[in-house]
Amino acid sequence: MPEIIKIENMTKDYGNGRGIFDFNISINEGEIYGLVGTNGSGKTTTMRHLMGFLAPDSGSCEIGGINCRQHPEVIMKRVGYVPGQIDFPDVGSGTNFLKIQAQYLGITDMSYTEKLIDLFKIDTSAPLKRMSKGMKQKMALVAAFMAKPDILLLDEPSTGLDPVMRDAMIELILEQKKRGATVFMSSHIFKELEDTCDKVTFIHNGRIINTIGRDIFDENMPKLYRVGFADEEQYLEFKKRTDLHIKSFNDKYKHLMAAVPVDAVNSFVRELADYNMRYVRYVPYSLEMYYKNEIENGGVL
Amino acid sequence: MFSLPLFKQSVKSNWVMWTAITAVMSVLCAQFAVLEMTQNLLFVIFYGMMTTILPAIYVLVTANKLIASQVDRGSMAYVLSTPVKRSAVTFTQIVFLVGSLVAMFGIETLLHLAVNSAKPITIATALGNSALPIKGELTSEMIVQVNLSALVVCIALAAVCFMFSSIFNSTKYSIGLSGTFIGVNILANMLSMFGSLGVSGLDKFKYLTICSFYDHQSILFSENDWITKMIFPAAIAIVALTIGSVVFKKKDLPL
Repeated sequence: MPEIIKIENMTKDYGNGRGIFDFNISINEGEIYGLVGTNGSGKTTTMRHLMGFLAPDSGSCEIGGINCRQHPEVIMKRVGYVPGQIDFPDVGSGTNFLKIQAQYLGITDMSYTEKLIDLFKIDTSAPLKRMSKGMKQKMALVAAFMAKPDILLLDEPSTGLDPVMRDAMIELILEQKKRGATVFMSSHIFKELEDTCDKVTFIHNGRIINTIGRDIFDENMPKLYRVGFADEEQYLEFKKRTDLHIKSFNDKYKHLMAAVPVDAVNSFVRELADYNMRYVRYVPYSLEMYYKNEIENGGVL
Repeated sequence: MFSLPLFKQSVKSNWVMWTAITAVMSVLCAQFAVLEMTQNLLFVIFYGMMTTILPAIYVLVTANKLIASQVDRGSMAYVLSTPVKRSAVTFTQIVFLVGSLVAMFGIETLLHLAVNSAKPITIATALGNSALPIKGELTSEMIVQVNLSALVVCIALAAVCFMFSSIFNSTKYSIGLSGTFIGVNILANMLSMFGSLGVSGLDKFKYLTICSFYDHQSILFSENDWITKMIFPAAIAIVALTIGSVVFKKKDLPL
């Protein structure tokens, strides 16, 4: 797959340590790429550079080989964008807004737009100013997806959505991937990145910490199990005797989390058989855990 | 270069104020021209003040809404995430701003022409001074010329407001500076008018306002001063609109 989005040594310094510093990101065509970080870590700044709204202090970013700052209008023919800050033009109702947006984008066939409106269950006849936060977000999603763009830049697309709508959005994103679109999305909600992204880049305080692929969830990683013990004596005994790496534990509730290598699951269960347990639970490894781990151990932070 | 959807969007969000100001201006014009009580104030109050104050209020609010407010609120993202260039955005908004002023003055002028042909008045009456040694009636040509002169000054006011609107990302600075600029110009214009009506000392204020380039006196006295005076506001307008467009094209946008 050829590279479609390229960010090279991009720096934007707002002073006082704010901004983004020496960003390098490469996204291939057809990938779903996630950008995750806490508030103020530089997610929106990165998106704005790709949209050509901001000029980097140094370095550059390109979409499809075209510099984002120099010819944004060429890039915009292929890009759908959900801004981080949602406010609509002063044009009355949602229907009006989508109509004008379709004219900008040169869309004449509104059937896909209608489909999106149905999917998100929006009442577009309502005045834009009186829409709730979630409703506005859904309008923004429709506006970004309605032209079936090759590339989608989504800045925290799930803000304000209820869980059902968030799932609908994730479905929609996966659908875009199926038809070959590239998606670059930022979020601080790990779940939606986990469900969609092929690759995720972690950023903190404007610096890239790490980029991981889907293979982080690979079979070869030790599996995590949480075990709750019935009595304290046995809990302490297991904790002392086991060879396994104990990730975390809680003396009060007598439970612990053990990292079990792939080939040691059987012996782990056999070992546990002698103990009086309340429960054993497999804990799927999540991006969230990875992120916490990185923040706890990372020397960069 | 020109974006029709953006133009439509600007019409949709600004027609209310345009209609209100145009209606007020037209009604006032007709009233001053028709009623005998007010006829002698036609050039003192209406063409002296109203033709700059009313459009100034309109351009102050509208110029800010066309660019700065949309950047501040973030709604400009929906325009710029489509294949519309930034230069097309400024160009389209300038066309709207200037075009709406032309339409505003056009409607008011047509109404005055109609009223004047039905009920002509002498120039001396219109100036509110029947002792003036000036003969003849107010002609259609004069009405068109007076309005043209006022229009060019209003376009200059609009251009400066538009420049501030394009330079600043925040409404508070855009409105603040435009408001100060408009306020100073209108106030100085009024003070200088009292000066020309005989209050000594106040006539110096004419150097503080670009409204001084709007010269209805010379038109009524059939002089050609007003034509040369139009060059200055026209130049101010071109410079301000160019600065605004260039800055808007180059600056960082928080969208």
